[in-house]
Amino acid sequence: MSVLETYDLSIRFGGVQANRDVSVTVGEWEIVGVIGPNGAGKTTLFNMVTGFYTPDTGRIIYRGRDITGMPVHERAALGLGRTFQNVGLIKGATVRENLITAQYLQADYSVVSGMLGGARSLRTERMLRTKADLLAESLDLGDLLDTQVAGLPYGTLKRVEIATVLATDPDVLLLDEPSSGMGPEEAHRLGDTLLDLRQRFGLSIVMIEHHVPLVVRVCDYVYCLDFGEVLTHGLPNDVRNHPQVVAAYLGEDPDPAVVELESQLESLVEGG
Amino acid sequence: MGAPVTVTSPDAAGPVQEVAEEETPAVTRPGRFRPSPLGWVPRLVVWAVIAWVVLIVPLGHSAIDLQDFTRAVCYAIVALSLNVLLGYVGQISLGHAAFVGIGAFMSAYMVTTQGQSFWIGVLAAGAIGGAQALVLGGVSLRIRGLYFALVTLSYGLVAEENIFQIESFTGGGAGQQAPKPQWFESEWRYYYLCLGFLAIVLLLDWRLMRSKGGRALLALRENPRVASTFGINVRIATLFAFVVSGVIAGLAGALIAHNDLGVSATTWNFNLSLVFVIMTVVGGLRSRYGLVIGGAFFALMPYFLEKIPGLDNALAKIPAPFDLTPELAPLVVGPLLLLLNLIQFPGGIGQQLRPIARWLGGHRFDLHDRGLKEVQITDVRA
Amino acid sequence: MELLRARRGLLIGLVVLIALVVVLFATGEEQALVIGTISGSAYGLVAVGLVLVYKSSGVFNFAQGEFGGVALATLYLLDANDVPYALAVVGALVAAVVAGFLTERIVVRPLFESPRVTLLVATAGVALLAIAIQVWFFDSQGRPIAKAFTRTDRFSVLDVQLSDQRIWLIVTLLVLAAVLGLFFTRTNLGLAVIGASQEPTATELVGISVRRLSTFTWSLAALLGGLAAVIAVPDTGSFTPGVMTSNYLIPAFTAAVLGGMTSLPGAVVGGVLVGIVQSYATSASIFQDGGALDVPGTPGTLIVFVVLVGVLVVRPQGLLGKTA
Repeated sequence: MSVLETYDLSIRFGGVQANRDVSVTVGEWEIVGVIGPNGAGKTTLFNMVTGFYTPDTGRIIYRGRDITGMPVHERAALGLGRTFQNVGLIKGATVRENLITAQYLQADYSVVSGMLGGARSLRTERMLRTKADLLAESLDLGDLLDTQVAGLPYGTLKRVEIATVLATDPDVLLLDEPSSGMGPEEAHRLGDTLLDLRQRFGLSIVMIEHHVPLVVRVCDYVYCLDFGEVLTHGLPNDVRNHPQVVAAYLGEDPDPAVVELESQLESLVEGG
Repeated sequence: MGAPVTVTSPDAAGPVQEVAEEETPAVTRPGRFRPSPLGWVPRLVVWAVIAWVVLIVPLGHSAIDLQDFTRAVCYAIVALSLNVLLGYVGQISLGHAAFVGIGAFMSAYMVTTQGQSFWIGVLAAGAIGGAQALVLGGVSLRIRGLYFALVTLSYGLVAEENIFQIESFTGGGAGQQAPKPQWFESEWRYYYLCLGFLAIVLLLDWRLMRSKGGRALLALRENPRVASTFGINVRIATLFAFVVSGVIAGLAGALIAHNDLGVSATTWNFNLSLVFVIMTVVGGLRSRYGLVIGGAFFALMPYFLEKIPGLDNALAKIPAPFDLTPELAPLVVGPLLLLLNLIQFPGGIGQQLRPIARWLGGHRFDLHDRGLKEVQITDVRA
Repeated sequence: MELLRARRGLLIGLVVLIALVVVLFATGEEQALVIGTISGSAYGLVAVGLVLVYKSSGVFNFAQGEFGGVALATLYLLDANDVPYALAVVGALVAAVVAGFLTERIVVRPLFESPRVTLLVATAGVALLAIAIQVWFFDSQGRPIAKAFTRTDRFSVLDVQLSDQRIWLIVTLLVLAAVLGLFFTRTNLGLAVIGASQEPTATELVGISVRRLSTFTWSLAALLGGLAAVIAVPDTGSFTPGVMTSNYLIPAFTAAVLGGMTSLPGAVVGGVLVGIVQSYATSASIFQDGGALDVPGTPGTLIVFVVLVGVLVVRPQGLLGKTA
């Protein structure tokens, strides 16, 4: 039973066809990777799925429901969570404030009653704060709860962003390059985290990634995009070794020595 | 207990290392500071002084002075209203005199022409303030930030030259009368009434920012895309903020109208709109006490100038036509303070007073605490 | 693609103009064409200054009106003290340029890197200060101010007197528009100004001081504001402190938006169009008391507002501007 499907999504900006006929299927509790060189249209695909762009043609189906025209905040309410390439957080707020704000949909009282200080709103606020603290602790961010987001190092920001998107109580996580800015060590731990999150929260995850070892290790299925189209898709290792994929990343006729060296490096990281 | 610290040290020989637990000194997460009972004494003394200045001192003044004090309270309310747009949402309004003025006229109209009570007038003022703000808010959704500032400027002029010229509503050139309400007819009682309104507005503002509504506004001000992924309907939230701002502005207008015992169209002009923006920015965006002080300061500037001994005589010595009237003071001092604020002290008075305010609230006195957040009128989505 | 868009804008502008002319003649209000062109020339001059500053630094200069206000005040003072009128005009223009120069140095420079909104508010503060100073000197009463050219009956178009003063205004606008057009496309300095707005770093690397250019641009804009003020306002017979902002700035901004904030010729065209539309609204009987669309107060103000919002909602890049 698939939780998210896209059918023939196409979109054009001015003279550029950013995506053409992209069809992707994500099964329940799957971790799906989306790879491809820069400019392949991966983030554009995410933007369409989450509602920031409206596709020219094609449909997006979420749990059997056509959400193609739905505004962003409604999709969030349905359970679609996403992170951004340049870190989607409220930089002027603290970590805790981000986590509480992200729980907007779980603040089960009206705005007006919040202004008037109704008992229910006060109770809910306390609950939200507790949940925020717990979430931060579980991702090793407990010490940073009162720190303003703006000053934090990039790798930490990525972790905060994951905590924040989890605070929105999602069913499906769309992660845009979650390992960017991370060294191989941190990326490895990220992989552990993702697998653990999938287990604990019953999430399905779609991730745009450049970090091939992470993709191979963690993903159940991979799509490779190039020039806005799906180049190929399949099991991670099959896709990774697909000649066209290699060509897309490395250019035509990749040097076999380079390919060999790459796979050696990968096994080093994985083994160590 | 320190959190597990991992260290990557690419060794020439071997793979990366992982250190489970470094020998960091036990870092206690700072608990909430609470002043000792003795620590509370100086704080309470200061609170008492403030209360005395606000509540008792005015009693010893003349009725005319009381009018100035009441105006200060009303300007504080205006600053709070403008702050919702400027500070919480990040939209510039250069026509706020129109919002306030329409409330003033509405209340006067209700009481004088329609024979309603003061309370109905206030209600109507808030309602029309909110309604017009809603319309402008709708416009703001389609127009980029800088251009919206232009629209508000133009709207302010339309209010001045068209809306406020509707004879049946505003009495045309003659203006409308606005008597004070029953039981609050004396200037002193009316002052306390306005203080009461200010307290209510402050309370609502405080509650708003501590609940999901306020967080939604702050989020959408800084990053509307991310805000919408949190489930926040950016459009509705923006419109909501406009309405809140408009209602409070209308309320302030009504209070001013009855304070002056009348409303005339010439008061609500472009200059006043600018003074409103300046006093809000100089007071300090998103800082309640800063805003109140900023608004009051600008309203009381002529009053203070008159009280400075010898200034009157010194000014009289300046030959005509260069005579300087105290009414001009806000128009001259304002821009200078604004410039200072924009270049050097973006958080305004509020930011400068923050150490004192935090101390009064029961925290340690920290001279360098200038607030977590960067306060700028900058996040307008231009 | 740019050319296509510009052509589309020109087409729309032409259609609008023809429609206006038809409506005006049909309703017997054709005089609005002439009166509107006169006032529109003043709006156009101010608007060109606005577009100049916007193109070069992205700032909405709310003080543009009061640069003219400073000129007016100086003209009045000098004239009242029996300085020969021609010299008084020169003095007034110098004062305007000084105002622009000071504004750039004291306000714009420190905020060079700040968001454009901050600068918008800062220039609004400058305008307020300028108005306050004028009120200080002259209190809020209107003062009579003499024209440069007193001959009023040189010729008339459509029964509207084209006094020498008015001809001076229109001619100035046209000449300036042409000169500036050439300046920004053919001279090194002009190209540098445009270049600095788009690529400040590259401009510095080539050895051109972006800061000096900024000073030049603001001084030039102030000069334009001053010109508009000293030619147009005496024609009305009197000046009041703040008149440049209340009567000219908003129509000028509307003109700039209508023409496209990035287009100098657009500002000229926009100015004339706004002038004509406003003039029509002011004199047309349907907007007067008792008419079918009775507008309280000054109909001209309302119509300018409608045009502003209309353009921003329907075609934000105006007639000739670049799309955002």
